[in-house]
Amino acid sequence: MDAIALLVGFAVVWVLGVALLAVIAPIDATLRAPGHVAWTVGCGWFVGAFVLTLWMRVLAQIHVPFGIASIGLPLVVAGGLLAWRARTSKALQWDGAFASLMGRNLAGTQRAIWLLILGWLAVRFALLAAEIVWRPLFPWDAWTQWGTKARVWFELRTMAPFVTTAEWLSATSPNVYFDAAPQYPATVPLLQVWSAILLGRWEDTLINLPWWLTGVAFGLAVYGYLVREGFEPLIALIGAWLVLSLPILEVHIALAGYADLAMSAYFTIAALWSLQAARTRQWGDVATALLFLVACVLIKNPGIIWVATLIPSVVIVMLPRYGIRIAAALFIAATLALLVLARTEPIIFLYHLHLDFDMPWRSLFNAYFAFGNWNVLWYGVLAVGVVARRHLLSTEVAPYTAIVGAGVMFLFFGFAFTTARVWVEDQSTVNRATLHLAPLFIVWMLVSFRAWSRHVALRRAITTGGRAATDNA
Amino acid sequence: MSDRLVVSTAQPDQPAAPPGTTGPHCLPSSRALARIALAMSLALLALLAVYLAISVPNGWLPAVAPKAFAANGLALARGTGQLVDEELRVTAADSTGVTLISLAPDLRASDYPTIAWIAADIPDGAMVRLLWRNDNAPEKVNAIDVPVESGRTFPVIVANNPAWIGRVTGLALAIQGQLLQPIRIRGVIAKPMGALEILGDRVGEWFAFEGWVGTSINTITGGADFQDLPLPVLIALTVALAGTAVVLIERRRPGTFGASTPMALATLFLLAWLILDTRWAANLARQEWYTAQKYAGKSIRDKHLANDDAQLFAFIERALQILPSQPVRIFIAGDADYFRGRAAYHLYPHSVFFDPRSNELQWASKLRSGDWLLIYHQPEIQYDLSRQILRWPSGQTTSAELKLIGPDTVLFRMR
Repeated sequence: MDAIALLVGFAVVWVLGVALLAVIAPIDATLRAPGHVAWTVGCGWFVGAFVLTLWMRVLAQIHVPFGIASIGLPLVVAGGLLAWRARTSKALQWDGAFASLMGRNLAGTQRAIWLLILGWLAVRFALLAAEIVWRPLFPWDAWTQWGTKARVWFELRTMAPFVTTAEWLSATSPNVYFDAAPQYPATVPLLQVWSAILLGRWEDTLINLPWWLTGVAFGLAVYGYLVREGFEPLIALIGAWLVLSLPILEVHIALAGYADLAMSAYFTIAALWSLQAARTRQWGDVATALLFLVACVLIKNPGIIWVATLIPSVVIVMLPRYGIRIAAALFIAATLALLVLARTEPIIFLYHLHLDFDMPWRSLFNAYFAFGNWNVLWYGVLAVGVVARRHLLSTEVAPYTAIVGAGVMFLFFGFAFTTARVWVEDQSTVNRATLHLAPLFIVWMLVSFRAWSRHVALRRAITTGGRAATDNA
Repeated sequence: MSDRLVVSTAQPDQPAAPPGTTGPHCLPSSRALARIALAMSLALLALLAVYLAISVPNGWLPAVAPKAFAANGLALARGTGQLVDEELRVTAADSTGVTLISLAPDLRASDYPTIAWIAADIPDGAMVRLLWRNDNAPEKVNAIDVPVESGRTFPVIVANNPAWIGRVTGLALAIQGQLLQPIRIRGVIAKPMGALEILGDRVGEWFAFEGWVGTSINTITGGADFQDLPLPVLIALTVALAGTAVVLIERRRPGTFGASTPMALATLFLLAWLILDTRWAANLARQEWYTAQKYAGKSIRDKHLANDDAQLFAFIERALQILPSQPVRIFIAGDADYFRGRAAYHLYPHSVFFDPRSNELQWASKLRSGDWLLIYHQPEIQYDLSRQILRWPSGQTTSAELKLIGPDTVLFRMR
């Protein structure tokens, strides 16, 4: 019964998101259907989940208690209407989707590898699901600063305020609350609240189902995006596997309760939608991109900085003639601004900036290259950066290079110039912060590598053609 | 919209995708795959050979086998303990804070360059030393520090110590420091450190089970906590070496591998990823077995009672019967950050206050009549039962009614 309640409750959310996307961001039917379906369905989860939390915020504002009816019914109605409106959408042409999923459009070896990867991922997600179902809320912040809010809001059926120590101590009534991070955003706890409402009780195992769903949807979205960007389905599936098999990402599904997985997924998709919106400039794409950008800000406080890191890439896409120069100027300006900020020792999101360069290289090396967090991701990033160096600023690759470049800059300044370096030394935050950017690095790797491999193939073709012409002469 | 998207996949300044980068040729043939895998295997063997050349202290194939001494062959010279389940469990140091475990091994020093004590639960900050005597200077006790990480002793390379000569007639492990929990010693192994033994140790480190701990959400070590040669580093070096070989060979003899250079490099990278991913998946599967043992089939209450804070959880279950049904203000005091946080978590939706990072009690003066106070293992706070007064470490007193008492835990209501 619990499983049915959860599945139905989250299916409503997912369908709402898919239908909303299909309505506001219609896609041309001439592009490949499998990628569109996967992209729309994958992103649909994130749209639906975020809209759910926005609706719960509205309910709290207008003093309507949380309940299955108050939350779920409007979502069902909205989802139904949108699905009806979207029934002819090109984004949801399901014909052949199942055949594509089973790899029926692939030849012998490719199909075998396709099915092997799908099976491998299925086993993995079965293991992750087992962990979520069995283990109560485990990691530290999950029960000191995220699940705390969810627990209170579920029990009270509304969003009671969480306040600082001073405010709590001086409060005259017990209607204000305190936890280890009262200023953290409500999005992720609200997803747990919805789970608990579906269950009808606080059960801190099953309430974490959204983390597992986030993993599944993220894989679909990455796969769909890569196919839309012209990658062969098998290569796109390999790309999705690279993302989903990052050990630190899987840990954040298995040991659910932190907001970093959501931050990573929403930021990745926000970046990809922003590129699309900058290319097409259609209102639906722009609106969707904005929705994801707002979600980033409302998931974790650093989300606003992550959003800012997307500006250079959007500029590059929107202004192809001067974009790279403008982006370069932005990078330089940002560097100077950060240096000035560092000299004045301000505090941004509890990070004390000051110009005291002291990068903990050894800890950073361990985190990225020696430990098991990332498989061989960062070696691959370095290698691709070297072999594809002449293509990194090409029209195709430059927007992605700008995204990861700006992201690295943000991480670099955090780790090298702020008190966050302590969290690198003790390995407490370095991987979680990097997780927000890592999936985009995988997309960048694939796009850059493709540009280089095309160049190599073309050069080889020219050389071979030249030799043949000489021989004929 | 679609036109622009199509353009984005083949940009004007990019060459059109040549035949061979898409379609059935996006994968290497099985023959090419075999050759690439062979190149990778050879590179791996070459790197392991280099590593062993650097790491093996004496011969690659030593004449002697490792010599192990089980716990029942050890003598507890100083301290208190007993043999339990083939482990020597030392429960207390002597009055000077020293624990000494000794044996008479009779080893030829040159045969055994490394000594590994298999000891766990060594207290943080304890000084651990390996002591020995040899037959050249039997009256002299020699010593060398033993590295300890996460309460476990690391093997000590003694070959370079000038006193590691002749026949070793006495060997001991000395631990200076008070014991908060029993130290467990399974034995000691004298290692000749041949190539196979070193490789076995590394493989053991790479595939050691890494279960969930509090820091897992932040970082995954990838096997044993401390590794002499981390597997990702070795695999990456292997790909680099094999990749370099592929590029050079393809340049001299094009078509040797039956795949383009980018495809060969991509295949190497994916094989490397697959190796590490398989290791991680196996670890995850093993973790699920442990998780199932601990939690599967239990109610949510029983799951919490299987956790580290079971005692606190059980107390709070009783406390919730006493507390009003409407939320009240509850302060949490406790020595450990973990238990303060856990107590708060179990007490929501009451309005709970806990200091997430400090056990200091600056908030004590903020307690008001009608507030509640839960104390878990904080002996600095005293209670005068007859006068119903709490005395804080600062000397401040507060009138309070004792509402519930349990193991290490008390619940008060302020008057």
